[in-house]
Amino acid sequence: MFGMLLWKEWKENLWKLWFCGGASVVFTIMLFRIRIIPDFSNCILISFIQMFAVPVIYSLDIFSGEISNRTVHLLFKIPVPRWMLFFSKYIVSAAGIILIFLISGVLMEFMARGREAQVLFLFATNSLCGMAALVLFTWFCAFGCQSRSEADSLVAMFGVFIGWGIVFFWSSVCEVAWAERFVPYSLSLLRITKIGPVLTIFSQIPAFAAVLIIACYRYVSIRRYL
Amino acid sequence: MRVSGIIHQQICQLKWHLLACLGLIMVLPVEEAIVNLKEGDGFFTTAMTSLAVMFSPLLTGLIACANVQGDLNEKRYIFWRSKPADVKLLITLKFFTGLVASLLIIACPVVFAILSNIIWNGEGIDIFVPLPITIAIMTYSLCFACNVVVRKTARAWLIGMLTGCFLLVLPFMLPLNLRDFVSDIMFLKFGFYLTIILVAPAAAFIFALYAAKHDWHLRTNLKSLLWIGAGLAFILLMLFSSQVANIKVLHEKEIETSFGRNTLDYAGSRAVFQGYSYVDIDKNSISLNNISGGPEFGIDDNLTSRVEGYYVRRYPNSGRLYKNVGDDIYSFAIHAYYHTEGKGPSLKRFYEKVYLRSYKHTDKSWMPVCELDISDCLTDNINSIRLAMRMIDNRLIAIVNDSYVVVDTTDPGELKLIDKKKLDALKKYIRLTYMDRQKEFAIPLVPVEEIGLEERIKLSIDLNYWYYGFRNEINESSIVDVHDGKFSFFIVDFDDIVRFDVTRWDDEKVYCKFSTLRPFTILESVTGHFYDDKFVKNGKFYCYDDHTLMVFDVRSNSRIRKLGHFVRMDYDIEDMAVLDDGNILLCVRWNPEFLTRSDEQKKYLYLLKNPE
Repeated sequence: MFGMLLWKEWKENLWKLWFCGGASVVFTIMLFRIRIIPDFSNCILISFIQMFAVPVIYSLDIFSGEISNRTVHLLFKIPVPRWMLFFSKYIVSAAGIILIFLISGVLMEFMARGREAQVLFLFATNSLCGMAALVLFTWFCAFGCQSRSEADSLVAMFGVFIGWGIVFFWSSVCEVAWAERFVPYSLSLLRITKIGPVLTIFSQIPAFAAVLIIACYRYVSIRRYL
Repeated sequence: MRVSGIIHQQICQLKWHLLACLGLIMVLPVEEAIVNLKEGDGFFTTAMTSLAVMFSPLLTGLIACANVQGDLNEKRYIFWRSKPADVKLLITLKFFTGLVASLLIIACPVVFAILSNIIWNGEGIDIFVPLPITIAIMTYSLCFACNVVVRKTARAWLIGMLTGCFLLVLPFMLPLNLRDFVSDIMFLKFGFYLTIILVAPAAAFIFALYAAKHDWHLRTNLKSLLWIGAGLAFILLMLFSSQVANIKVLHEKEIETSFGRNTLDYAGSRAVFQGYSYVDIDKNSISLNNISGGPEFGIDDNLTSRVEGYYVRRYPNSGRLYKNVGDDIYSFAIHAYYHTEGKGPSLKRFYEKVYLRSYKHTDKSWMPVCELDISDCLTDNINSIRLAMRMIDNRLIAIVNDSYVVVDTTDPGELKLIDKKKLDALKKYIRLTYMDRQKEFAIPLVPVEEIGLEERIKLSIDLNYWYYGFRNEINESSIVDVHDGKFSFFIVDFDDIVRFDVTRWDDEKVYCKFSTLRPFTILESVTGHFYDDKFVKNGKFYCYDDHTLMVFDVRSNSRIRKLGHFVRMDYDIEDMAVLDDGNILLCVRWNPEFLTRSDEQKKYLYLLKNPE
């Protein structure tokens, strides 16, 4: 049954993969061909835009779509536990996000081969931004899994962006290293700043798991949905 | 209909949105003030206020969408329509209530910054906020109009923001001749933006009134919206690339990193790289071949003096002037020797000796084969020296300050002095001003009898307007275009390229007149600033600075028409050459960014397709 749920979500969200993947590929090819800025700067630019845009697109209707289309009551009548519904949505979205960043990272490496950037540097930078995007999306799930409209989802997603932005700013300015390691944006900067990579990743993993459990719990405990 | 009632209802409707936006916009300034207080400086904010105000266009868009969303969804809209309400008045009141509320919210961090700085920071604060505020007004109006039509908050906000971005980016993309409309503020041409930013809100407001009056409703689909947005971004990027990246790179070759500036010169029809390799092009592929089997190093850029306390200045500063005689290759250079007195700002250079030397290429190195002492060209020998030279047939004209010598180079191993003169006209460079664009002006004709009139006129113009530069390349190129017996030359000013035509000449002077100009677009001004390196070849004007190269057609319809633009930010263009087949060879150095954590510099040769 879980497989069928995954298949349903995959089909419903395939357009997002096409859209984000297509746009990433097209803009990567274009920017790496015109090369007004060096490859590394191009990579940073594309990866940062992806880091914000891809989670926004995935979050817009992943949960709220079922409620605004009034299909959520049909979904909840399927004889499966609700956590399966949640994870089917989450896994498909996460797989989409990972796939998009993998495609663009490989493409960047391919287009920049033999040029000024070090081998695998662009891929690593883009992948780290992908990890950050996935963590941001997970944080969105915790706040936005009960959203009833696209606007609610958008507010939740931007709330996550801004909230972590504030924490990041505070921890950088006040040099609070332990807090900085919990900020998803730190992941994207691992290759270019002096933030300890091992500690950052090990700080992120429990936070990530906890947020995922909270998101699942909140989705399972939805009471009013029509 | 009670106006005050509507305003009251509107404020009540927006209160949570307003509070949320207020919280968001105040977070950063308050956070900064707390940090400052913690560090013992006082409870004030400086940098974060500007940053917070920068985000205000996003927030005002949000308020705009929330402003009418509540009244325009299906059921409530029917309620409003059934009431004897004046739709235009209702929408106008809602629009301005939301706008005033938005502006008040934007004002909060500014007021907080000003007050906190007056009280706790004696140095005060200087915040520049009019631009983000005007942009915020624009995004507010656009989002408002979008929401009246779309009636879905998130989508209206996305469309409004996208439209705002599109309007702001548009002037960059279009090759508009903005000269007549703009005024310069902080080196950016801003007037066109101001027009857009002010006209767009008015247009959006009027559109919103009509849309509400006539119940225009656009049913949207998220997928289509996103595809349209991506399509628009793609079109903008295409326009952008056609503006600044339309010179095709045919081949790119990494070359060995060496100390000093890389050079490209001409030896006959072949390009010489760094004084030791010919650059050969085969099927759009670059290869470097050492000149006749050696040497393995080029001409040393940094000459060490043979006498202690003396330094050497060389012309050409980088590269050399080459000449092929049979199978042999020779090069020429001027060396000026000086010593210094004093230190720091009071340091003075005293030039004492100047030599014109010819070198012959041997298996091992460039061997000096002849030397002419031209030190008597030095009349004023303190601090600055101006050097130039040009080879015309077998005549080498070397200019030192305001004197010149003409040398026969038929046998470069035995230079023969033909003529030596002092020329008062070369004493100082007269910079062209805007006044020179109004009337005819004259420049002195260099009285070098040994060369033809055409070359004399070219040399005279080059010496007048290029000789002043420390890095003039009079030895290998010219700013003068000769076509059908007509002479024209080109000056790159801060914000335009100006063309002057030679109208007539007599035995002593060349008379010139302003012909046309071609202002730089905003994008051209942004990507490059000082196009010091420039020359004309085969009807095309080339100018480049550190990371931008532009090519202009100067022979079509007496206009200056841009053909190509090539930009590599964080690269330094060190030298360029136009090959016989028309393609461009570029020598660039990549300076690693601090972000890459790499200290390694890289150098490349680019073969570019010359735009037609």
